[in-house]
This record gives sequence, C-alpha cells and structure tokens, in this order.
Amino acid sequence: MVQFVEKSGRLVCVFGGRMDTVTSTEMEDEVCKQAQGTTLPVAFDLEGVDYVTSMFLRVCMRVVKDVGKERFSIIHVHPAVKKVFKIAGFDREMNIE
Amino acid sequence: MSHMEDVDIEKTMAKAARAAAIFSQLDQEHTDRIVRAVYEAGFKNRVRLAKMAHEETGIGKWQDKVLKNVIATQLVYEDIKDEKTVGIISEDRQRGIVEIAQPLGPIFAIIPVTNPTSTTLFKILISLKTRNPLIIRPHRNAAGCSSETARICYEAALKEDAPEDCIQWVGEMSRAQTQSMMGHKHLALVLATGGPGLVQAAYSSGTPAIGVGAGNVPVFIDKSADIPFAVEQILLSKTFDNGTVCASEQALVVEQSIASDVVAAMQAQKAYFLSAEESARLEPVVFDRDKGNMMASIVGKSAVEIAGRANIEVPEDTRLLVTPQTGVGDAYPLSSEILAPVLAFYKADNFTHAVNLCIDLNFHGGIGHTASIYANDEDVIRQFALLMNAGRIVVNTPSSQGGVGGIFNTLRPSFTLGCGTGGKNITTDNITAKHLLNIQRIARRRVNDRFVRFDSRLYFDESLDAGAIEGLFNRNL
Repeated sequence: MVQFVEKSGRLVCVFGGRMDTVTSTEMEDEVCKQAQGTTLPVAFDLEGVDYVTSMFLRVCMRVVKDVGKERFSIIHVHPAVKKVFKIAGFDREMNIE
Repeated sequence: MSHMEDVDIEKTMAKAARAAAIFSQLDQEHTDRIVRAVYEAGFKNRVRLAKMAHEETGIGKWQDKVLKNVIATQLVYEDIKDEKTVGIISEDRQRGIVEIAQPLGPIFAIIPVTNPTSTTLFKILISLKTRNPLIIRPHRNAAGCSSETARICYEAALKEDAPEDCIQWVGEMSRAQTQSMMGHKHLALVLATGGPGLVQAAYSSGTPAIGVGAGNVPVFIDKSADIPFAVEQILLSKTFDNGTVCASEQALVVEQSIASDVVAAMQAQKAYFLSAEESARLEPVVFDRDKGNMMASIVGKSAVEIAGRANIEVPEDTRLLVTPQTGVGDAYPLSSEILAPVLAFYKADNFTHAVNLCIDLNFHGGIGHTASIYANDEDVIRQFALLMNAGRIVVNTPSSQGGVGGIFNTLRPSFTLGCGTGGKNITTDNITAKHLLNIQRIARRRVNDRFVRFDSRLYFDESLDAGAIEGLFNRNL
C-alpha cells in the first residue's frame, strides 16, 4: 500500500494501486506520523498510482500543512492523476514535479 | 448613415431594435438572398480589406489576411448557406416536437485587432443569417478597416432590401460607453472576441454573452508521427499571419528520443533555435512580467523583426524563433501565450513526461482552448485527447487553421472559438449561426403510457425504494 524509503535526502512515500477511500483512510495516520517524525523533505511517489479519491487529496493536504509547502512534493505522477491535481487546484498548494 | 463618431447609445439601440422588428418578418428565401449578397461583397473585397487591415494595424501578413477573409466569407458561407434559420426548422411527428427558429435580437459584436476584417465579415454573416441586427465595435487600432468592412456589407445588404440599420458600426467608445452598451435593455447578446478583460466585462454586463478564452496551445509530436510532415505543418501554422491566431501553437513538446530529428527538421524549415542567453534577451521584449502577459507591441510581428528588437542576430530568412524551456508557469514567461512567431520547445524523458508537460501548458492560461498532436498511433491520440482540457484537439493538422475549421477538418469555420467553462465560456463549440437563435419548441400531447397506467398511490408508500418502483413502473401488462 505504502512504503517509506529515504532517498536523495528526502523521505519518499511510495504508493501503489488505487488510492481509494478505504486505502487512503487506512494509511492516513501512518503517513502523517512518518512525515511529522522526519526533518527531511517529504515526497509522495505516485508512479504506481492510477486513481485517487478525495480522501487521498486530504492526506496530501494534511502532510503539506504538517511539513510546509516548501518541504513537500509529489513525484512521478501519471498524467491522469496529474490532471486531477490540476483541476483541484492543488498545483498551487503543493509542488508537483 | 450608420457610422457614428460620437456614439449615441440610445439612438444606436433604438435603430437596432427597429431593425430587429423588421428582420422578424423576413422569410428564409429573403434572408438567404441578403446573406448571399453580403458574402459576395465581402469576398470581392477580400484583398483590399486585408491590405487595409495590415497597413492600419501593422500586424501580420496581408497575404494571410486575405486567406482569413476567404475563410470568413467563402467557407463560412458554404457552411451556413443551407441551414434552416427561419421559422419551422424541424418537425418530429413521432415525438410531437416542432422546432421554430427565432432571432435573438440586437447583437453587440466586439472585434479584435488581430483579425479586424475577417472577424467582422464572419460575425456579420452569421448574424444576418439568423436575422439579428448587429452593432460592430471595432478595436481602436483597427477602426478604419473594420468599419469599411461593415460599410461594404451593409451596402450589399441594403441592395437586397435588408432592414435599415441591420448593420451598424460605432466609433471609438470609452470603457463606460462599452459597458453601458453591453448592459442595455434592448441588447440581446454580446458576441465578445477579445482579451480576457473585455470578455469578463461582457459576462458581467447582465446581457447574455458568448465569449472566448485565452489560448496556450501545446503541440506534441509523438514517436509514431511523420516528423518532417509534422514540422512543416507546425511552421505553416505558427507563422500564419505571424502567429496571430489564438489557436496557434505556443509550445512544442517532443520525446528526447526524437528530439534531434525534430530540431534538424525545424532548422531545415528556417526555424532558429535560441541559446539560453538569447532566450533571456528575448523574454522582456515579448513578455511583460508586471502585467503577466505578452507585449502588445510584438503581436503579429515577424521573427526577424522580433529578433532585431532583442538584439539577436538571425539569418534574414528566419521564419520562427524557438526557445528551449525547462519548465512551465509564471517563473517561465516564455511558456505563456505569445501571438507571434515565437515557440517554446520542450524535450521530455518519455511519453508520460511529455503528456504531463502538455497538461501543464494547457492549464497555464489555455484551459478549454485548443491542443494539438502529431501521431499515427490511435491509442496515443486517444490518451492525449482524454487528458487535455481543450475544446479542440487537432490531429496531424496545423492548429491555427485546424482550430478555425473548414480547411483541414470538418470543424465549423469560425472566428470565435468557445473554450468551455475552463475558459469561462458556455460552450466549447466553434461559434456559428446556430448559436444565434432562440429555438422554440411546440410540444404536442404524447402521453407517457407507463405513467398514466401506474398506480401513483404507490409513490406515497415509503417502504418502496427506487428499484421496486422502477420494476412496477416498467412492467409489461
């Protein structure tokens, strides 16, 4: 569901599959705990993600709030998911690489 | 005389209202005769008006403006001439629905400086075809050629016994006068082709408005494309009238694996690739960072002239300035819309990266407008199209001419391109005559037998859910 690895000086949260409501809810606290527990920048790696729900967007917002916009980024996003972030206006709230 | 130096809004609107009243009596045959006469007059003057537009505005190329006038007359006329726009236009006996076309009433048409004669011709033809009187408001830098276009059309219309004042054109108007005109109680529609401020004002006027959105057109060349063909078409499009068409390409995205082939093909077509240092010198010449948009002074200028203003030495036969970029957004001004022969260029790592770049470009000021792709792989074309937010996704087609329609595809020829809600417009359609009609529907009694047979008391039984009701409602007796 989600793996945490330190890579290139940042905490990378690697997600996989569909980030539906159930999945996002289950991993929300763990992801937030990991993000709060590090001084490193945090990146969500969405290479393996092809679908997100509003619950996953909520997790992104929580982490941005916790660690700050400058320390958070979304990487390896698929075009279909990128479009979701664009439509939601999240590209103004967070760094999407 | 319909030309007013000092615009008297009440008088203008009173004349327009009278013209609308007379217009409402015309039948299809008479309407079509007027449209034919106006088309012929506009077509006859296509070269003179194009030269006038070029001389007055200093924008674009007169030869390309001739072609624009041809599209606005010949192709638009061909497209609308057989359309039923008067009285009963369709009858469905089975459904009991009869559709009646009624005119909207007076239309206020705002004309842009980039297409001052072609947009005037286009708006006049679609308005007359739908029996709507038109008040033309030219751009202040193109008042002469737009007014002359309107005058030619008006004279031709009168010869076919069109209503007096069916076409009016006004002199320079203050912002307050324009707003007053747009909000006038007798005005039916604002047909606003112009900058975002003007379109916003039209929407805020309280009068129904059809506007346009800004463009920032990405063009993607896929690995499956015919590269020399794609490059030739892009150059044809981006240099057309020196890049003044809002559907023209603004940024070219290619995968790394074919980048060198694309660059070579572009250089063979007289495209000049700027160095990073030259791009930095170009930026303040073509983009106003304070205002956040392109410099009006370079709109429709040639590549050589723009390069000269930026002190960049280019060969005399340079057709296009290409500026390699690494990002999209406010921090990268050359990733924005520039209506001139200046094209941003991106190398992407792979298809996913390329499409992500196109999404970024599309959302950076061009939502709902146009996107372009060159590919011979249907899956790639579909994936790309599904991910763009664009009213027109043109395939293997120069996007300037492709977006306008009628030459390289069967989109309806138009000089007002709807951009959907993303561009703050009501439609993504190419605007044409059908958008200027009120459609009335006669609805004959055709009883829904299932509803009549159904025991309506069951609706009050709260224990029955939608599935249960549907089962009973649709049961064959």
